Amino acid sequence: MHISFRHELGRDPWFITGIGLGLVLLLLAGLGPVFSPYDPHDISFRPLSPPSADHWLGVNDGGMDIFSELLFGMRNTAGFGILAGFTALFLGVAVGLAAAWFGGFTDQIAMRLADVVLAVPSVMILIMAASLFRPSPVMLAVILSIISWPTTAKAIRSQALVVKNRLHIHAARQAGASGIYILARHLLPELFPLYLIGFAAKARMAMFMEASLAFLGLLDPARKSLGIIISFALKYYYMDIWWNWLLPPVILLSLLTMTVTFLVISLEKVFDPRLKEAL
Amino acid sequence: MKDGHYIKLTAVYFFAGLVMVYASYSLPKWLPGDFVTAMYYGSNVTLTAEQEAQIRACYPCQEGFSRYLLNLLSLKWGYSYAFLTPVSDLILEALPWTLLLFGGAHGASMLFGFIAGVEAAWRRGGWVEKAGVGCMTIMEGVPEMCTGVALLMLFALWLGWFPSSGAETAYSIYSAIERIWDMTHHLALPFTTLFLAYLPGNFLLTRGSMVMVLKEQFVQTARAKGLPPSRVRYAHAARNALLPMFTRFGLRIAFMVTGAVVVETIFSYPGMGTLLYKAIGLRDLSLIQGIVLISSLMVLFVNLAMEILYGIIDPRIRNAYKLPA
Amino acid sequence: MKRSILILANVLFAVLFVCISATPAVSQMREIRIADSRGDWGYPNPFLHYPRGPGYVRMSWVFDTLIWKDQNGYIPALARSWSFDAENLAFTFILNPEARWHDGRPLTSEDVSFTIQYFKKYPYLWVTVDDIERAVAEGAYTVRIYLSRPYSAFLPDVGGTMPILPKHIWESVENPHTYNDPRAFIGSGPFIFRDFNKTKGTYLYEAFTDYYQGRPKVDRLIYVRSGKPMLSLQTGEADLANIMPGMADELRKKGMTVIRDERGWNKKLMINHRKPPFNERSFRQALAYAVNRQEIIDKSHLGFGTPASYGLLSIDHEMYNPKTPFYPHDAEKAGEIIESLGYTRGNGGYFEKDGCPLTFELLSSNITVAGEIVSDRDGEVIKKQLEQIGINVSLVNMEQATTDSRIKNWEFDIAISGHGGISGDPRILNEMISSQYGAGSVNSARYDIDPELNRLMEAQMVEMDQQKRKNTVYGIQELYAIDLPAISLYYPDAVAAYNPVKGICWFYTKGGISKGIPIPQNKMSLIK
Repeated sequence: MHISFRHELGRDPWFITGIGLGLVLLLLAGLGPVFSPYDPHDISFRPLSPPSADHWLGVNDGGMDIFSELLFGMRNTAGFGILAGFTALFLGVAVGLAAAWFGGFTDQIAMRLADVVLAVPSVMILIMAASLFRPSPVMLAVILSIISWPTTAKAIRSQALVVKNRLHIHAARQAGASGIYILARHLLPELFPLYLIGFAAKARMAMFMEASLAFLGLLDPARKSLGIIISFALKYYYMDIWWNWLLPPVILLSLLTMTVTFLVISLEKVFDPRLKEAL
Repeated sequence: MKDGHYIKLTAVYFFAGLVMVYASYSLPKWLPGDFVTAMYYGSNVTLTAEQEAQIRACYPCQEGFSRYLLNLLSLKWGYSYAFLTPVSDLILEALPWTLLLFGGAHGASMLFGFIAGVEAAWRRGGWVEKAGVGCMTIMEGVPEMCTGVALLMLFALWLGWFPSSGAETAYSIYSAIERIWDMTHHLALPFTTLFLAYLPGNFLLTRGSMVMVLKEQFVQTARAKGLPPSRVRYAHAARNALLPMFTRFGLRIAFMVTGAVVVETIFSYPGMGTLLYKAIGLRDLSLIQGIVLISSLMVLFVNLAMEILYGIIDPRIRNAYKLPA
Repeated sequence: MKRSILILANVLFAVLFVCISATPAVSQMREIRIADSRGDWGYPNPFLHYPRGPGYVRMSWVFDTLIWKDQNGYIPALARSWSFDAENLAFTFILNPEARWHDGRPLTSEDVSFTIQYFKKYPYLWVTVDDIERAVAEGAYTVRIYLSRPYSAFLPDVGGTMPILPKHIWESVENPHTYNDPRAFIGSGPFIFRDFNKTKGTYLYEAFTDYYQGRPKVDRLIYVRSGKPMLSLQTGEADLANIMPGMADELRKKGMTVIRDERGWNKKLMINHRKPPFNERSFRQALAYAVNRQEIIDKSHLGFGTPASYGLLSIDHEMYNPKTPFYPHDAEKAGEIIESLGYTRGNGGYFEKDGCPLTFELLSSNITVAGEIVSDRDGEVIKKQLEQIGINVSLVNMEQATTDSRIKNWEFDIAISGHGGISGDPRILNEMISSQYGAGSVNSARYDIDPELNRLMEAQMVEMDQQKRKNTVYGIQELYAIDLPAISLYYPDAVAAYNPVKGICWFYTKGGISKGIPIPQNKMSLIK
């Protein structure tokens, strides 16, 4: 059975592309600083130099090597996105499943809490957080996930309600299976595609939020990230910076979200239990 | 039984609404600084300590929560310090633009995303699906501020087809029809930016849930019965894939106020996001409270409506509440 | 899928087609549109406009002052002529008898004396009327203003900045800060205020055809909000806008006229001089040596700017002291000074004292000349420079109002801030140095411990002879530059562009509009 999985996945173009991309990006993120030709904070180069042999992607307005910035920024952004994505996913799945499973009062409390959290504008929360204490990137990622878990929770809940009423769950109940068992054995795995989608969405949201906050001038511009690079590049939109400065971070962001989406698509087959039975 | 359910539901929402009213009242007060700080400290006038005290006296501290609640109930939402206008007027002025831009783009992207998603899932494994997913995933990775600025450069600067800022030509002397054209003209670029930003998410979500639905027994049955494919797709399968889409719609309402702020900034488009951002910058307390309150009440209201609609779309959910925990 | 793409494409094309074919109708009226990235600056009346340059300028279209400025200096406005009687310490203004309020009533000396009284009761914070003893209307068009003590900034303040209010409207108004009846906008200026759209950030003014200096050149004046001024200029949505200096060449190529201001705005480093180690003058001087200002300009502003004088006033100011002490960038010297204060270099080359590393916080927010929020790299560059000499700096970037309130409450080490007004009257020195004049401003160093500096500041305010005052102002700049309670970093280039097709010639006012506003929207551009 496992062999057929591997076989199946090995031939799936989504999986191959996803894994390939993922490995390359992971390598870049992990080893980026090693490859990086210069210190990304080094401001000693001539500002706005076009790409050359010394600076593959040229130099930005602050006299920093764009390629080195990208390598460092990519790592920060990916880490930031993954952390925010996982935390939000964890919170969302926990609340969503609990709400769907227990229903009734628990459900109402959880979902209204979600509404309340969702309804408070995030810009305000972030300004308050920044002024009350100085959020480190890790802290910021956690704050973002606290703001953003409700969407995942609601998606999980609504799908879990559907699964919960399926015949095989009823059958399991009738056969005397415990709640925990059904949750762990049926609900949790059957919703797997949603987790990946949720994770991808949250991670993307966090990475984009980073860019938006930088764009609105609310983020520390000294910490390298793809969002910061993009927002600085956009400041010089009227110059010839589109191909060497703005496009590369956008492409990297795109590739990051692509990796996750492709994996989601390929893994849909594997983790759908009914498909498993068919195999 | 059924009526009791709705009454309970409404009661829970009512309490959530109360919590929200309190949150909207108290949260903005945590922001450091006040209106006088924001307005005068970095300004061209340099206040002496005495003058500062004098000005501060013009903007008295806000009354307590009970008072705030009473005022709310009598529809007194307070005055904006900076604009000297009732908060409700300002919100009513900004909300239509937000609904037009955000609501429009959101609705359109949902519709197209849904249709495209259903069609892609139906053709699972085919090249159409692969191309669709590929394109959408690439699009999903592009932040809306990049799309926005790129569209501006291309269509406003190089081609000169669209205006670069505002919601309409300010103080134009147009007839009604010309004015509508003018507004559409101004709306096109920000609308497209948001549409492109929201489309991929809707597409991928629909495709994902549709893939799950298509494997269900009843779809297989419908297929086996030899029903026309389009009927199977939409009347049977897609109906069930609508649910996550619906949830998403309800959730997205929450982002209405802040979700478009970047695009509003780029295109200088009026709206709730800009208004809130300015109100926070100015520490215009009543205005912040008003916007937070209206947006959160809208979220609650839409969610309540959704919850009631769920039952209609998917009868199985209705039963969910009846099952013992 | 295919079908939906087709539908999508069709709809997009349809929308495109409709939009392109709907070219805006050409307006019969002559109008001028000015773009601004923020939009809202308050209602254009003295009590309601935001206390920043753009707010004042929006008010200045509606309300005239006694005298005004153009490219070359003071010119008559409501007052045809003015004179100073040193013996009686009194200014005499002869009003233009043709001046009318927007409601048709004549403007008389009664209005002027009323305005002064009214501002004594309800202060207009841009001007000080405390030193005015009384204003006497001598006949319908002559007004004599007696001072209780010499007040050197009288002419720019009361003469050139104070808007004159119509007595017949304001005499019954007791809540000027909340009064926004249409009558609150009746002035004597060249334009009548028609509308302020708060959410769109747009203003509409119409020409006041009976204006005493002649009918304005355009019928309508419109302010629009635009986040991308360069695009707005090129698409014709705006006729005038502030631009980034880097856009100048591109816009010139497109036929726009680009104008550049004198140095009227500075970015500076605020220092919390109340707490160690910043309370040590030599430490502040070490900071001045450590910061390479040219590098900030090059690496944060593409080289568009000039290092500032440590005495605040720029070389363009007529009272600029060319002998102001100067601290050329010298990392070694900075290090030596810090060592002389008892610090030693510990591991990593960072300074420490008694085992405690020398480390502080650099507070930064993003403020620019035109009051817009654009993130820059100033903080990043300064942090790097200070780290190079061995000071550990953590950079904290926060939202504007948060930063402001922290500086105001002395909850900071050093902070980056900026302000204008430095091309106007040298009274700005007092406001930016002493807490007696500027306690309520975050840009003020609020530095009161140098008695000689205090004496000079006091003296410049009461010296009516501008030549003698110049010497005092020289002294203030020198002492300020020695004490360095704040370090002026650089004057960024302030550039604007306009479309000459409209036949209007915009200019930057000498010494800035009124108190020194570095904005090229002088009402005289639309009059003469």
